[in-house]
Amino acid sequence: MKTGLILGLILFLVPFQATVLGSVSPFGIRPDLCLIAACLMGFFTGQVQGFILGFFLGFVQDLFSASDLWLNTITKSGVGFFAGVIAKNLANTASHSAFLLMAVFSLFSGVVFLVASRVGMDFGEVIQGFPSILLPQALFDGVVAVAAYWVVTHRTAETSM
Amino acid sequence: MNGRVRPLVLWSTSTRRLVVVLVIVALVLFFLLPRQTQFLLQQLGRPVADVVSVPLEMMAGIDRGVRNWWNQYLALQGVYEQNRRLQAKVQELQGELNQLREQALASQRLAALLDFQEKSAMTTLAALVIGRSASNWYRGVVLNKGEDDGIAVEMGVITPAGVVGQIVKVASSTSIALLITDPNVAVTGLVQRTRDEGIVQGTAQGFVRMKYIPPLAAVKEGDAVVTSGLTGGFPRGLLIGQVLRVGEREGDLFQTAQVAPVVDFGKLEEVLIILSPQLSENAEAIDNVLTTQEENAGDS
Repeated sequence: MKTGLILGLILFLVPFQATVLGSVSPFGIRPDLCLIAACLMGFFTGQVQGFILGFFLGFVQDLFSASDLWLNTITKSGVGFFAGVIAKNLANTASHSAFLLMAVFSLFSGVVFLVASRVGMDFGEVIQGFPSILLPQALFDGVVAVAAYWVVTHRTAETSM
Repeated sequence: MNGRVRPLVLWSTSTRRLVVVLVIVALVLFFLLPRQTQFLLQQLGRPVADVVSVPLEMMAGIDRGVRNWWNQYLALQGVYEQNRRLQAKVQELQGELNQLREQALASQRLAALLDFQEKSAMTTLAALVIGRSASNWYRGVVLNKGEDDGIAVEMGVITPAGVVGQIVKVASSTSIALLITDPNVAVTGLVQRTRDEGIVQGTAQGFVRMKYIPPLAAVKEGDAVVTSGLTGGFPRGLLIGQVLRVGEREGDLFQTAQVAPVVDFGKLEEVLIILSPQLSENAEAIDNVLTTQEENAGDS
């Protein structure tokens, strides 16, 4: 069941992000569903699962974006892994911790992309990436992560009853 | 953690250590041998891309269908279709007009020397835009044609109106084109009226600008910017956009102009990939004459 879920996410999340989500992107910014999925997988099931899902989602995302073939692979697997490590050490979790964690990871991954995609450009252009992409995306990712967190926790609570 | 789900994989300590070592080795390789690892990953990713392109095309079809249905039947019946047809016609005519203008300018300069023949068309392949780049950090589109159709990296992508961008990644049945508004794309351009050359590049804000214009060039607002044909992928004379304003700061060695692209990237649905950017016969003839003139001048 869970292997099927992971395979399904790998097969459908990137196509969904590249097609359907492109039509509903406010201000041209789309939430990074792969990052959110890797983070939540690490958050709920541990660092190994987070790492595995992040790795494969990142790799497929790299294949369908113009970035180098390692940027997404490394950032997503790192996010999945560290989300698992952090969640293991949290005494109590709530939706606001999911939001905070997601926003911080989104910022971290955004900085990696900002540096990698603006190599050799003016400092002003690099800085421009903060208000135009990095911050709105972190906020967006955080909000979507809270929604996903709410769905997962409510589903888990319902099935355990 | 509360509500924690049972782990999917239970790994022994030795397996975990092995995984950590493998990850570290992979990271070192990524940074020490970027070119080789890119090639390896590209090869490994090809079958994966083929598998994922199936749901991608499926979702693109559904997305297109829903959008068409919404636009045609719910929003503005008839008007939408008419507007779309007219817009396509205007873009086509704009492109045609520009080609004619370019031909006329060339004719004026060299009419006495050359017997112009009809312009030969470059070899292009039509492709459908099936998605946007799966990351916000790059302005790119996913096309439904790949290596199997003869697509290769660095090929130019255009519409009848003008330049769209360049192919940067190719799988068997899909490819990724980076738009000209992305800062990572640079094309050599020419101000059509003054014949001044420069580099046309995207900006972080999603605009296009022309850099390295000679300081004495009399470029002004509204001037058409076309490809110069010097970089691979594009022949000479394809419209890129129009100059919005020219920026000149004191002490700068060159002028920089902001250019409004002629293509509406938000509504990009079909594109043409330039398979062979052959120079048109008259452009080739111009080049030959100019080369001969330069050689003669050098000899004398």
